[in-house]
Amino acid sequence: MAEKRKFKKRFCKYCETKVDYIDYKDLQQLKHSLSERFKIMPRRLTGNCKRHQDMVTISIKRARQTALIPYIVDRKNVVESPFELIR
Amino acid sequence: MNCYETMFVVQPTLTEEENKAQVQKIMDVITNQGAEIVATKDMGIRRLAYEVKKHKRGHYTVVLFKGQGNSILEIERNFRINEDIIKFLTVRYTNTVEVAQFNKMVADFAPKEEVAKEEPQAPEVEATETQEA
Repeated sequence: MAEKRKFKKRFCKYCETKVDYIDYKDLQQLKHSLSERFKIMPRRLTGNCKRHQDMVTISIKRARQTALIPYIVDRKNVVESPFELIR
Repeated sequence: MNCYETMFVVQPTLTEEENKAQVQKIMDVITNQGAEIVATKDMGIRRLAYEVKKHKRGHYTVVLFKGQGNSILEIERNFRINEDIIKFLTVRYTNTVEVAQFNKMVADFAPKEEVAKEEPQAPEVEATETQEA
């Protein structure tokens, strides 16, 4: 007998607020899908839907190109409070 | 005619007037290509997320305009030549959702749009002055 999965149902935060387009300049929106090392968080952890994940990926990559957010945060490039960069 | 957005970063070491001159230079290039500038936004001096040409800060400007696709080549060529510009990005807004966003941004920048409307007249005056000089 298949047991019922006990995962919490995740919702896409962008769907809830009905976002049509994610702008790369709006860092507050991107923040949700970034890890503390500024990696793009996978869909399975954030609960984003496919449509918004695709949008967010493109916007994050654009923001990286324009030096709004870093590509990597490593030991050479330590930031004490990484999200202070984004304000 | 497509909707385009260009963001560029000018060196932070320039004075405000020099920065304005740089922005004006880019605007002139865009208008000379037959494109119509819809709105501009000055995002001010921001900290860069990583060093670009040894600079830690940069002066961001966003220009929204409508124009032909082949004009982008010329505009970007000018970005590359200019040593004061350390970063640039051009984004095209095509489908309905994106164009809606484009119009929304135009509305957001609206208070500056009035300034932008006045500016196209200003460069003409400046240009004539330089020619005279």
